[in-house]
Amino acid sequence: MAYKLKISGTVDESIVDGQGIRYTIFTQGCPHKCDGCHNPHTHDFHAGKEVDIHDLFTEICENPLLKGVTFSGGEPFCQPEPLIQLAKLIHTHKLDITTYTGYTLEELEAKANPLIDELLKQTDVLIDGKFINAERDLTLTFRGSHNQRIIDMNATRKTGTITLLDLT
Amino acid sequence: MLFSALQIIEKYRKEDVNMIKNIKKRNGDIVTFDINKIKEAIHKANLESTDDTMTKQDLTALANKVVKTFDHSDTPTVEQIQDIVEKTLIASNCASTAKAYILYRAEHAKIRQSEVDLMDIYNELTFQNAKDADIKRENANIDADTAMGTMLKYGSEGSKYFIDHYILPKDIAAAHINGDIHIHDKDFYMLTETCCQIDLLKLFKGGFSTGHGYLREPNSIQSYSALACIAIQANQNEMHGGQAVPNFDYSLAPGVAKTFKREYFKALANYFVIRFDMPKTDAIALAKTIATDLPMTITMSNAEKYGDALIAYLPKHQQDNGFQAISAEQTKAAHDYTVETATSETDRATYQAMEAFIHNLNTMNSRAGAQVPFSSINYGTDTSPEARMLIKNLLLATEAGLGGGETPIFPVQIFKVKEGINYNEGEPNYDLFKLAMHTSAKRLFPNFSFIDAPFNFQYYKEGDYDTEIAYMGCRTRVMGNVHDPAHETTCGRGNLSFTTINLPRLAIEAKGDINKFYDSLDQFIELVIRQLLHRFKIQCTKKGRNYPFLMGQNIWINSDHIGPDDSIAEVLKHGSLSMGFIGLAETLKALTGKHHGESEESQKLGLEIIGYMRKRMDDEAEKTGLNFSLLATPAEGLSGRFVKIDQKLYGTIPGVTDRDYYTNSFHVPVYFPIKAHKKIAIEAPYHNFTNAGHISYVELDGDTCKNLAAFEAIIRCMKDNGIGYGSVNHPVDRDPICGFNGIIDNECPKCHRSEEIDKPKFERIRRITGYLVGTTDRWNNAKRAEEKDRVKHGLQA
Repeated sequence: MAYKLKISGTVDESIVDGQGIRYTIFTQGCPHKCDGCHNPHTHDFHAGKEVDIHDLFTEICENPLLKGVTFSGGEPFCQPEPLIQLAKLIHTHKLDITTYTGYTLEELEAKANPLIDELLKQTDVLIDGKFINAERDLTLTFRGSHNQRIIDMNATRKTGTITLLDLT
Repeated sequence: MLFSALQIIEKYRKEDVNMIKNIKKRNGDIVTFDINKIKEAIHKANLESTDDTMTKQDLTALANKVVKTFDHSDTPTVEQIQDIVEKTLIASNCASTAKAYILYRAEHAKIRQSEVDLMDIYNELTFQNAKDADIKRENANIDADTAMGTMLKYGSEGSKYFIDHYILPKDIAAAHINGDIHIHDKDFYMLTETCCQIDLLKLFKGGFSTGHGYLREPNSIQSYSALACIAIQANQNEMHGGQAVPNFDYSLAPGVAKTFKREYFKALANYFVIRFDMPKTDAIALAKTIATDLPMTITMSNAEKYGDALIAYLPKHQQDNGFQAISAEQTKAAHDYTVETATSETDRATYQAMEAFIHNLNTMNSRAGAQVPFSSINYGTDTSPEARMLIKNLLLATEAGLGGGETPIFPVQIFKVKEGINYNEGEPNYDLFKLAMHTSAKRLFPNFSFIDAPFNFQYYKEGDYDTEIAYMGCRTRVMGNVHDPAHETTCGRGNLSFTTINLPRLAIEAKGDINKFYDSLDQFIELVIRQLLHRFKIQCTKKGRNYPFLMGQNIWINSDHIGPDDSIAEVLKHGSLSMGFIGLAETLKALTGKHHGESEESQKLGLEIIGYMRKRMDDEAEKTGLNFSLLATPAEGLSGRFVKIDQKLYGTIPGVTDRDYYTNSFHVPVYFPIKAHKKIAIEAPYHNFTNAGHISYVELDGDTCKNLAAFEAIIRCMKDNGIGYGSVNHPVDRDPICGFNGIIDNECPKCHRSEEIDKPKFERIRRITGYLVGTTDRWNNAKRAEEKDRVKHGLQA
């Protein structure tokens, strides 16, 4: 069961979900239901399809142009177990992990859930926060609204304070 | 056999034929019958045949026999008469003449069927707007709604008609008209060549003349930039294709050096005035004396040494002549200040010169004012500080855009990627390579050429720009030289003409029989070779005076000794004669059911076909000593023309004729979803075969400015796979109201207006056969359909 992931779909080569060319996995099921969400079909926890993370990993390995993999959704933190396993595999393949979440990093840490903590540990870049329609801006890089942050998790772990990614 | 034929003829010769009075022409008109027309037609056929030449009497007898078949009260149609002529010739045992007659008749019928009357074309050109008339959008760079644009089209269409009916051998004209082949720029058949790579460095030395006036050797980067535009424009007016500068950095760097020198002495004089309280005239005179007396010239790279020399010279000079004392320390301070000032002033002047260069090339009119020159510039390998400053500013000016922030359409820019010079961190021009990608991510230019690709590297000699591969905007490449192997170089050379084969049709006709496909391919290769040589022969009749700039100013290689009345035949042999192709994907689909993106077997066959075509060109080059080469045709007007005719002939064949365009050259179809690295790997080996030019694209959906890592991954993948010339396509939209530049879906991200509600529309810059086009309004129908089908990488579902 730990190897099965419920997804809405994947994108082979995305340039809008993080730095470099990325393989993006849209997980299925989301509790946030943000107003104006551009992927409303990923909200229903009962929809989507179940896939084996090893199949995803095989496909990811086939593309030499990838810089990394992005977990999007849906809410990835609703399925931490399979994503942790997949992220570990991906890291062995020298690719990085960007994870989108509707929670803030502080909210996730406050849950004090070892699985959530482990998925955060496997994440190199975290793009956090709900999409807020009033703060929507199409010119933002990799984000939908101003409240969302692009957090450099490696630097954050090292320094102990939340460090945003320098995108210049 | 002939004896019996003549006996029959004899019988009719004596009879008094009862004449038909009138005949009915194809357009329905009734006109008086003229028996001489029958005689003439038979005479022409007889001359083409292997039969004995007929006498006047023979011809009369045969014609009479034809007429005799009809009742004198009949009004036969032209077709009926021709049918009888055929039968009569056969019955009279003139089999070879009959065959020639039938062929002649069939070719004329083909020409007539597909040829609209010239006056109908003029009618359309005159009374229809470009947006409604595809014929007026054949070339997206020409605004055919303007007076001069329409005038150009009158000339062009009239010329094509003339060439078809009076110049081309009938079978070649027929092959073009019915879409077996396409003779590019046919309207210029009698006039000139395609394109040329201009060595500006050589041209500027000692100044030049445009034929309307003499220009001195330029003395500042501003004049270098202005003269570069003038040279491109002047040469463009003598050729039918584009103009390229293969060595833009090497050519314009001396302009930067001259400006730097001038700024240095200007700043030095100013320094003397301000710091030493020297009268202005004295200060200027002193700066001049220094410039003459010091044995070296100040440049950006020897400034330090020059400073030492100045310190050794100036205090002594002042003392010896009893002038105002200037100490060594003061001299050093003056020099340091002056170098800094001159550097920043030169940088500023260079930026302005590059800005002007781009603005000029997008606004100056050529060819009767209906278009701007098709210009291309190659650069990236000159590591001198002057060249680096030049290219940095060119890229910055490109990124800034035109006056309203628009994306510049011209010049096409090509950044030459070379390991050891600019590809890896630590190499002297690596920063420029990074900046080039940054610029291209925003403006679609520059494209990237790869000197290290084996077929390009074989010509490369370190330090000789003439051996660095260059591409002309649309993708043309001229490098190898069987005529003169000592000149396997770029400068002064170009393509003479090119003709494209309709590959998908050969595949449809072969009905899966690969041998039949190759047989007909051979037949058309022969025909194209014959046609290219036919055109070459016409080009060779020209004299120096026909090209006052191209030959008169010695732009073309070895034209230095060609006077106004000298033939250009010999020097033209440095140019290339190219055969092109279109629709490899549809060809493979028709032959095997799968294109090369779908199956490895098809890819193998594709490489075999294109490899064979290349071999045929190599063989012909060896045989004739002329530069026959194989081209991955750009095909702007052609993308829709062939398929339109083939749809009529064969109906809709899935994957072959079911779209409004044939896929460009060897490209994997734009509608086919495929990962970027696979597309690159599949297309790369074709670059090796197409020595007359090639380009590969990867489509990215998303704002590449926000993800340069993705952009760079594609460019590096191209280099690793042996691509010769490539680029990344991505959407570049602009809101003309607020000036936002980026991706616009329905709503402008900056001012939030939507184009459905508020006019004017957003500008959507896209690439068409290597060129950028400002709005898709001027695209022809086929290209519009093709752009719509392009599958992008990174699209969010």
